[in-house]
Amino acid sequence: MDFDFSDEQDQLRDAVRKWVDKAYSFDRRRAIASDGGFSIEAYRELAELGLCGLYVPEAMGGLGMGPVEGMVVMEEMGRGIVLEPLTQAMIAGAVLSNYAPEPLAAQWGPKIAGGERLVALAYLERAARYRLDTCATEAQQQDGGWVLTGSKSLVANGDTCDAFLVSATLDGKVAMFLVERGATGVGTRGYGTLDGARAAELHLDKAAAQLISRDGLNALEHAVDVGIACSCAEAIGVMEKTLALTVDYMNTRKQFGVVISSFQALRHRVADMKMQLELARSMSYYASLKLNAPAPERRAAMARAKYQSGQSMRFVGQQAIQLHGGIGVTDEYAVSHYFKKLTQLELTWGDSLHQLGEVSSRMQDTAGVFA
Amino acid sequence: MDLAFTPEEQQFRTKIRAWVAENLPPQIAHKVHNALHLSRDDMQRWAKILGKNGWLGHGWPKEFGGPGWNSVQKHLFEEECALAGAPRVVPFGPVMVAPVIMAFGSAEQQARFLPGIASGEVWWSQGYSEPGSGSDLASLKTKAERRGDKYIVNGQKTWTTLGQYGEWIFCLVRTSNEGKPQTGISFLLIDMQSPGVTVRPIVLLDGSVEVNEVFFDNVEVPANNLIGEENKGWTYAKHLLSHERTNIADVNRAKRELERLKRIAKAEGVYDDVRFRDEIAKLEVDVVALEMMVLRVLAAEKSGKQSLDIAGLLKIRGSEIQQRYSELMMLAAGPYALPLIHEAMEAGWQGDVVGALHCAPLASTYFNLRKTTIYGGSNEVQRNIVSQVVLG
Repeated sequence: MDFDFSDEQDQLRDAVRKWVDKAYSFDRRRAIASDGGFSIEAYRELAELGLCGLYVPEAMGGLGMGPVEGMVVMEEMGRGIVLEPLTQAMIAGAVLSNYAPEPLAAQWGPKIAGGERLVALAYLERAARYRLDTCATEAQQQDGGWVLTGSKSLVANGDTCDAFLVSATLDGKVAMFLVERGATGVGTRGYGTLDGARAAELHLDKAAAQLISRDGLNALEHAVDVGIACSCAEAIGVMEKTLALTVDYMNTRKQFGVVISSFQALRHRVADMKMQLELARSMSYYASLKLNAPAPERRAAMARAKYQSGQSMRFVGQQAIQLHGGIGVTDEYAVSHYFKKLTQLELTWGDSLHQLGEVSSRMQDTAGVFA
Repeated sequence: MDLAFTPEEQQFRTKIRAWVAENLPPQIAHKVHNALHLSRDDMQRWAKILGKNGWLGHGWPKEFGGPGWNSVQKHLFEEECALAGAPRVVPFGPVMVAPVIMAFGSAEQQARFLPGIASGEVWWSQGYSEPGSGSDLASLKTKAERRGDKYIVNGQKTWTTLGQYGEWIFCLVRTSNEGKPQTGISFLLIDMQSPGVTVRPIVLLDGSVEVNEVFFDNVEVPANNLIGEENKGWTYAKHLLSHERTNIADVNRAKRELERLKRIAKAEGVYDDVRFRDEIAKLEVDVVALEMMVLRVLAAEKSGKQSLDIAGLLKIRGSEIQQRYSELMMLAAGPYALPLIHEAMEAGWQGDVVGALHCAPLASTYFNLRKTTIYGGSNEVQRNIVSQVVLG
């Protein structure tokens, strides 16, 4: 048992943090958000740091790193509330290298790692909410290949990405496919999301697809679990910065002739925020350290971690706004943007109520970190 | 980073598990697993079994006869004991006063007191709180006046846990009124058989007696029972509080009690009620998160590479969780938690049960555990400390 970071992991963190501090200022972020919520330049900068290929094997031009490195990177992304969807690159790297036929993985892996191609997971459907085994999109064989028909929601960067990982029903089971955005029969309708980033509705009408795996539910669950671990880590960075902003404000803002950090009612609120942050950090470690566990153990761990993360994010975000007072709900001041990011993360990859249901239905007689 | 225990640690756990299975009397485990009343004899019997194997002071270094385990080994030992249904070791001797005697006592004091603590022969109590000094402990007034080679002690301690069994008591006493309140406090060991010591039980809300008032009326205490220097007692007491910070979170017991909660919920027919079951699920996440937090602190202590500022959080969270599982157990029983039949909380009771036998102690435990957010520095005091770290 060991929760120290290696020297290499510390160096990785420093490199990412430096980029966030120097290259991803709040002003740049604001400009990207008002310009559609995605900057290909910023995304390429992440690729130059090697981050887009974090989960792409070295043989395919990636870094072939593990969940702890992924966690370190995502914490820093959270600190800067970076809009560019690094999580999608992690998911694509993990899914293609673990489930796709070798030629397909070899075709896409290097381009994902290099930041030349952005591949986004398209799995949510209107009737399914967060359920992964409910999938109305259907796959059919046509001319020796595959075509997909159906609709997906909330696809990250759906109208700016190059391809999609799409879940579709094949012979009554969920299978996983790759669909290029430029293919015939693909339509997207893009929109901004509440964190300032971008998503799209995806419509597939006999769109040409390549089969990644008939074992699509396992691939999809793995993909979502990478998303959950990334989200739990990102949340730590967001909450740390949210708490730091709040502490700075409380130590500066004066009312009744004294700084508001002198009021015990408010100080205890900060202690409770610190509690929620550390519980979430503990469970983010847990999520990342369980990401390579056998599927049932991994799934149970992710549900626990995401539930804690969701609870913590909502508390920290709401309290941060309250402790800031009126300035907290303005667009001008940074904390509202962190609050929106926390809200976005809670509702992504299964919200707290959904995850509680997952925990509840998986409960065994014993429980603990190792059970 | 690695979540797994090392192969050596896993072997260590296996060894402890086998030893506990062999040595923990089943009658005692039965009582613990069912929250039945533990007598003084039960507690001391287990203490002596541990003591005989050199494990009552399981946190002690080798030079004082302890096993010299690291933080992770200590945790594994505590976990195996807790899950098997061992009673919690009464901490006042081996966990609280012994480290102070080791760090600040004289060689003579170490030779005189440590063997009786290590073997479980001598029952120690804690004399800290006073009627006017709870969270504000440094305001304590119990006075010790030096007269020749003796101190004359006058005053009153309260909330002395299991003091009705106490043979010795370690006390914080006032030896000076000069300077800050903290600087006039001394750490004194007092024989509770001394003339002038009176113990009066405090009956608690469930009718049980767990804590006591201890009165000192011109009690003569040999001056060589003073630990370290006069007026330095506050420093020694803080050393004591910094010890065993993960212990107070009691996560191992929480894991065991979560299992019991599930058994009770199933027996009472509420486990399949989604509303109730989800409350258990929330608690399960709380317990896992607390365990991860405890493991982080232990790992940091073991590696020494990072200093964590989260130990204060463990007490707050651990105590809240203790209260929550006792609350949910009571709610699981519903109306059958209402009868207050003290005899039904004794092992082997043959009377007619109301509802089920497991229902009998639930409300009593719920009442008893209200103490957890009050003692050891109330949770509000802990929040003051945490906010000081965060806000400056």
